[in-house]
Amino acid sequence: MRIRININQVRSFLAVALGFIVVCTTVQAQPARIMIPQGSFHSVLPEVVGEPVGVDSFYIDQFPVTNDQFAEFLKENPRWRRSQIPTIYANNGYLKHWESDLIPGQNVEPNRPVTHISWFAANAYSEWNGGRLPTVKEWEFAAQAMDFNSKAEEDQFSYDLIGWYSSVNAIKPQEVGSTGIENKYGVKDMFGLIMEWAEDFKPPIGTDISLDCGTIGRMQENNSIYSYAQSLRYVTRMSFSASSTTGLLGFRVAYDLPVSNHLKSGSL
Amino acid sequence: MLVKQIINTLLASLLVFGVSQQIMAQTSEYEMDGMIFGMPEAEVFIEDYDGPPVVGEYFTQLPTLKPLDYEGNKHHEVRLDAMVQEIEVANGVRYRAWTFGGTVPGPTLHVKEGDRITFTMKNRSNEEVMITEPGKGGSPFMDQVAENNYMDAKPGVMPMPHSMDFHSGTVAKDDKWRTISPGESIKFDWIANYPGTYIYHCGTPSVLMHTAMGQHGVVVVSPKDGFPTDDKVDKEFVVVQSEYYLSKGSRDDLYRYDFEAAQTKQPSHVTFNGHQTILHDQPLEANAGERVRIHFSNNGPSLTSSFHVIGAIFDRVYYEGHPLNEMHGMQTVLLGASNSAVVEFIVPEEGSYILIDHEFADAEKGATGTLKAGPRKE
Repeated sequence: MRIRININQVRSFLAVALGFIVVCTTVQAQPARIMIPQGSFHSVLPEVVGEPVGVDSFYIDQFPVTNDQFAEFLKENPRWRRSQIPTIYANNGYLKHWESDLIPGQNVEPNRPVTHISWFAANAYSEWNGGRLPTVKEWEFAAQAMDFNSKAEEDQFSYDLIGWYSSVNAIKPQEVGSTGIENKYGVKDMFGLIMEWAEDFKPPIGTDISLDCGTIGRMQENNSIYSYAQSLRYVTRMSFSASSTTGLLGFRVAYDLPVSNHLKSGSL
Repeated sequence: MLVKQIINTLLASLLVFGVSQQIMAQTSEYEMDGMIFGMPEAEVFIEDYDGPPVVGEYFTQLPTLKPLDYEGNKHHEVRLDAMVQEIEVANGVRYRAWTFGGTVPGPTLHVKEGDRITFTMKNRSNEEVMITEPGKGGSPFMDQVAENNYMDAKPGVMPMPHSMDFHSGTVAKDDKWRTISPGESIKFDWIANYPGTYIYHCGTPSVLMHTAMGQHGVVVVSPKDGFPTDDKVDKEFVVVQSEYYLSKGSRDDLYRYDFEAAQTKQPSHVTFNGHQTILHDQPLEANAGERVRIHFSNNGPSLTSSFHVIGAIFDRVYYEGHPLNEMHGMQTVLLGASNSAVVEFIVPEEGSYILIDHEFADAEKGATGTLKAGPRKE
């Protein structure tokens, strides 16, 4: 028997069941976060014909979380340090490139995106930071909100992106802000720097799309180089488990609206 | 915080549960037509393994094949890890390849019809793996590559999901050929039920990208009663044809995967044994009057091969390497992507013989090699 679980339903259920518990968090000093207004886009996952996937407005960090920022989090949260974290929350690659529990070290420039981070740790940081991980829908919607002047330009961008997916050297990620790639709202480095965790990285689609030879073909309803590049991201995310860590896998934080009463649309 | 952590744990276990439920319950082992089917469920796990990436005494570097020196059947316990290596595929052309065992194509495994193989693979795309340390051990392949690192392989890191699909195995792909993430390992059994020369490759999407990036190799399953010509064969080699789709990257001197070229089947290089000139730089060697056997596999990923040896006629061709698929007196063997043949020919005279894909556009992209024949030995 196959059991399908909708992660959002599970989340809603747990949220209701545990709703009586108020979680108090101190919101930390915030880096720039940017509002992504509601809209819709075409995912490579099965969708109702003619109906793009809708996304509500949300905020997302302008940059991925850096080694320095993650070190700050660890100072206040000893349980998530490399020496303390239980193996169920991260595999043995967790922060393995750092010099010690709290010090990224000489070989890890502070302004580089933090990688070797599990989904659990990314979640914990996001909550500490007053937010949460973006959903796959939110992440893809934000990342794809780019202004291309022509189909040819879009194709060239996707072509280069596929080249990046197949040639990136994860030994030394570039610094945040170095890619020169940003979406039309000013969110930077969603492409060309690292891969990023999403809250529901493993979509509950059962065997409709398993990871096999035909998967990309079944994701190509739009049959474009753009959706091919998109498919590679979906496939890579689907292969992870929540304790996975790699040298290319980091995250950025998303936030529900409203973040505070002082917010206007646009960046903080 | 604690509550959230509990929720996270619950969610994770639900996720894992949801996924594991998709794998069908395995049937138990059974026999049909003298063959064995119904392997136990594959195991996916985390291991602290940093030893040799290729383990098994019947794993060799192309173009060699380890002779089977045992009677009856054998249970092979082998390892072939997935990892990234920066390699040379032609003079001045280097790229970060996705590999099995560190070279493209990966090492050749030799087994016998009826053998059981317990296979382990760790996805080490997230770590630097040095394949050329002398004395690394584990397999003849490791010693050979330390001695003759013709691709000048250097470790790289590019964490990607990978999987292993052995065409020589008959199993449920959604179990055994499962994709594993960087840092994970998989272990499963298969039985070499049918003799033949079979490709193995990564089956993770995009399968075109994964195979074009270098994740393929060959398993030779020798027939349990041998080929009718076994006694006459003097030299035995393995030659693999495959394509690369590379163009110069903008960031550094390395080449990288060219999506457009791969989609439109316009390879930048078509090679024998993964390197444009290796079979000229290091020719196959035989003598006049000898009978040479070549296990030839067209690993693709996308083109056909019209394999011919200039100056020779294939005395025997065993299509796909099965002794019953016997043909005689062939000039050229046409092989689709993932087809293979065992070809045998008599080396007529001292001199040079050119192995070639007679589709000349491919030959001029590199699909040629040399067999150098010495004088006839009395």
